[in-house]
Parts: sequence; C-alpha cells; structure tokens
Amino acid sequence: MSQLEFAHVTKKYGDLEALSAFTLSVEKGELISILGPSGCGKTTALRVAAGFEKFDAGRLIMNGHNIEPVPPQKRNMGMVFQSYSLFPHLTVAENIGFGLSIRKMDKKKRVSVVSDMLDLVRLVDVGHRYPHQLSGGQQQRVALARALAIEPTVLLLDEPLSALDAKVRVEVREEIRSLQKRTGTTTLFVTHDQDEALTISDRVCVMSNGVIQQVGTPQEVYDNPSTDFVATFIGETNSVTIGGHAVLVRPEHTRVVSDAEPDSYRGIVQSFSFAGPLKTVVVRMSVDESLVRATMTNTVGTEWTMGQEVGIVFDHILRPTT
Amino acid sequence: MNKRRTTWEWPVIIVVGAFFIVPMLAMTRFAMQRVPMSLLGRDTLFSRWTIRGLMNTISDDQFQPAFLLSVRLGIVTVLVVLALLLPTVLWLHLRAVQWKMAAEIVSLLAYVVPPIALVVGVSGAYRDTVPWIVSTNYGLVPLYAILCLPFAYRTLDAGFAALDLHTLVNASRSLGASWQQTFRKVLIPNLWTAILTTSFLAFAVVMGEFAISSLLLKRTLPTYMVEAQGREPQGAMGVALLLLVLTTVLFMVLGRIQKKSPTSSSQEIRITP
Repeated sequence: MSQLEFAHVTKKYGDLEALSAFTLSVEKGELISILGPSGCGKTTALRVAAGFEKFDAGRLIMNGHNIEPVPPQKRNMGMVFQSYSLFPHLTVAENIGFGLSIRKMDKKKRVSVVSDMLDLVRLVDVGHRYPHQLSGGQQQRVALARALAIEPTVLLLDEPLSALDAKVRVEVREEIRSLQKRTGTTTLFVTHDQDEALTISDRVCVMSNGVIQQVGTPQEVYDNPSTDFVATFIGETNSVTIGGHAVLVRPEHTRVVSDAEPDSYRGIVQSFSFAGPLKTVVVRMSVDESLVRATMTNTVGTEWTMGQEVGIVFDHILRPTT
Repeated sequence: MNKRRTTWEWPVIIVVGAFFIVPMLAMTRFAMQRVPMSLLGRDTLFSRWTIRGLMNTISDDQFQPAFLLSVRLGIVTVLVVLALLLPTVLWLHLRAVQWKMAAEIVSLLAYVVPPIALVVGVSGAYRDTVPWIVSTNYGLVPLYAILCLPFAYRTLDAGFAALDLHTLVNASRSLGASWQQTFRKVLIPNLWTAILTTSFLAFAVVMGEFAISSLLLKRTLPTYMVEAQGREPQGAMGVALLLLVLTTVLFMVLGRIQKKSPTSSSQEIRITP
C-alpha cells in the first residue's frame, strides 16, 4: 500500500487547471521529486497534500484513508518552506520543540527529542539562538529538524533550497538526502532545479502545465524521456533531422570526428569551448543547417578550428520528435 | 550631501524641540508656582514652587471617579479595538487582500466625521436599538473605538505586513497547531510590539478625549478637568502635566520593550518618546 496517493486530483483556479487528473503514488520511505518549470502546478500538488488547498475532483489517500476532509494540523505532515519559516520569537530549540509541545509531549522527552534533532542536523551549539542569528543554510536545517521532530508520515519540502547560495545549496541538499535515508521518512520534494531532483531522488515526477509528463527513476527520465518536454527540460538536447526524421540527441551522445570517417554526417565547426576535462563543439549540420552541440572528453590531439569541415556521429538517438 | 544634512539637522531639532518644550515649561511654571501670572518672569523663576494646586485637584472628591472612569473606559476600549481588529486584519492579510483598500478607507472615517455627527448619528441609532447603552458610561466605548480606528488599524496592519504571515501560519498548522493555537502561540507573540503600541495609543486617546464625552454629558477625566479649570486652574494644569509625563514614560518603556524583543529586527513599527 502506498503511503500517499494522489488519484486523479484536479485543482482549478478559475479557468486555469493547476492540476489535471494528477495521479502519483508515493511509497513508504521513498523520496520523490516533483520537477517542473514555474507555474507547472508542482507547489499546488504539495499544498494539496498538506491540506492548504482544497481540490475540485479526485481522491487523496494516506495509508489507505481518504484524507481530503482532514485539516492540515491533523495530517501529520512536516513541511519545509521556500522562505525561512522559523518562528522569530522562539529559539532554535523551542522551534524544533514546537510541534512536540502542541502534541503535549512531556518536557523531559521533548528536551531529549530536540537534542537528538539538533545532533541530527549538526547544530548542537545553536539551540539557544534566535533564527535571525543564524545563516540561511542553518535556518533551513533547523526547519528540517523541526519538521522531522514530529515524525511526520510524509515530509513535504517546498523548494527548500532556492533561497540559499549555490555552495550551501549543495551542502543542504546532500544533508536532506542523508537525513531522509537515515530516518526513512517518506518525502515529497518540489523543485524546479533538475540537478537537485536527479541527485537526491528515488523517483522523479516531471510536470508541465498541471499534467504529469513522466514518473521514473532519475536514470529513466534522463535516458528514456517519454515526451519531448521531458527530454528538453531535463538535460540538454540537439534537435536534428536524420534520414528525413526529426530526432533529439544528447550532446554527450554526439561526437565530432574527421570528415573522412564513414557513416558520419557533414558539418562545419561554428564555435568551441574548453572546460578542463570536457570540451563543447558547436557544429552547423550541412543537411538542414541546424546547430548541434557535442560534449566530448578532452583527449590530446583532437583540435578543431572555426570553419573546419568535420564529420558528426550520433551514438545514441534519445527519441524521435513528436 | 551628508555634510549638508548634518548642518541642517541641529537647527531643525532645536526649533522643533523648542516648539514642544517651551509650552511644557510654561505649563510647569503655571501649574507649580504660586506666583500671579503677570509676575511670571525671569525674576520669579525660583520663587514659590509648590504642588499644592495639583494635590488639591487630585484630592478633590470628584477627581478620582472621573479619573477611574477614564482609565476603565481606556482599558475596555483597548480590549474592544483589539478584539475587533486583530481577527479582521489577519483575515484581510490572509484571505481578503482585495478588501484591504476598502478597510483602509473605512478606518479613516473617524478623521472625516466630526464628533458631533458621530454622537448624534450613533447615539440616535443606539437609542432605537440598544437604549440601555446610551444611559451607561460604557456607551462611550463604541464611539471611542471608532476614534481609535485610524491608527489602531494602521499599526496592526504594519505589524502583520512585517511578518511572512502565510508561511508562519502554514508552518504552525503543518506542525499540528489549530487556528487558535497558531493565533496564541505564533501570531500574538510576533505582533506583541504592534499590539502594545496600539493599546497605548488607544488608551492615550481615551484619556484625552473631550468632545464626545462632553456632548454625551459623561464625567470623564477631560470633562472634569475643563470644569476644574474654573475652580483650580493650576491644579487642572498640574494634572495635564502629570498625564503628559506619564504618557512619555509609557512610550519610553514601550521603546525599551521593542529594543529588547528578539523579533524586533523584523518589526517595522517604532515608537520613540
């Protein structure tokens, strides 16, 4: 039985369908990312799960029970938000203990849980501080500890890394994954960042315009995208015509070779860039004038000049364009 | 630019400061010196200082009831204003942002409707619906609540606006808190300074309100003081001065509380004495 199941959930704002027959099962202990561009309905799905949004049709089931009529405070879902959501008037320890005191846990046990949580997010020394005395990364880690302290049935993460700078984002992202694995908490993670989704998820649910495009492991959605949207949204693609058919090819499956190589397509080098172990060459295909990008490992002795006539080989075709 | 500002700063502070302090000094001399007014000058600066006038007024039989009535009215008005506005402003911020403009305009009514219109209109309405309220002193409370609306609304509105309200409410509810618990344990503590400011301002308005209580023939502190001015002008002036000092002390305390509050960095409202 799934821990959380969206069954044909539809949510409309006026004429706009933010969720269109949204169907997704989240298994126990699994981390699923909902990935999509701004306005695709991913946050709406999360807010529906949390109980902050009512929906127009479908069913929302948690552990076999329909939870549509259950108010947010009774759903036992911990949530971490995009903006810093710590209560400014409470210390870090009091913030983490908030949900526990609402549950009337006795003080001794509460203190012990809070201390375990502080330990878990490696913030033992800051328990007495107020949120405004912490960095952004620390605040989000405390928010995570606060959400985990109540031992939520499902942990909901609403773009929790987007307010952080790049380096801290990677750190906190890894921390989220390691905590989720250690605690075995079923987690729904909303993001618009494909790197985030691909690196920390068991499965990724790709959305566009309120519709699920594909659900699969990171490898599946990257290697076998089921729609053009998924193929172009996740990773880079070249759109080329081969044998009269339009197809999508990943740059890392595109190779630039010498023009004498048999079975290669003709093209002219337009530009190239060098990035240490990798180099990217942009070639204009002679057959349809389209530009293709090839990302290759940097091996000694392969140098191209602008305007040079070269051959192009496609090792793997991602999918035909529909 | 900076230099120019510094050059202008002091003269402005001195002129504005004098505008407030000179009348207060004059009040103090008038209230506390037993010297005929025509003789109040540089020569008499140190002569015959006394608080007898103030003590006479304070010990007057009618002073205490009038003072206590104003205090009681002040407290009840503060409670009524907070009970009305806290849920209203919360609702406007969370669920009805499109109504905020209308609410702001309504809150300004007290500025445009003169006390006489308020008294005639409102007490007329009360006489037909809840006649008992007109006969009691507490009949003043709804009118005072209207008078307090303009700044009470604005102060609370700014307090709510300074918070990331949606996130705080959602965070609290996702952690298991009901609406009441969220209000009590998350919102009120974070709005504490705004609530205190609103309360002090509303209380100060009630303590000084004359027109409405006079028109409705209620003996509050201000109406008493106007009466007492005829009998014991120095005493009435002394009481006025005392109230002024008390209010200043209250706002200094408020300023201190604001500085100490852990949430002060997120609060926009500042009251400085």
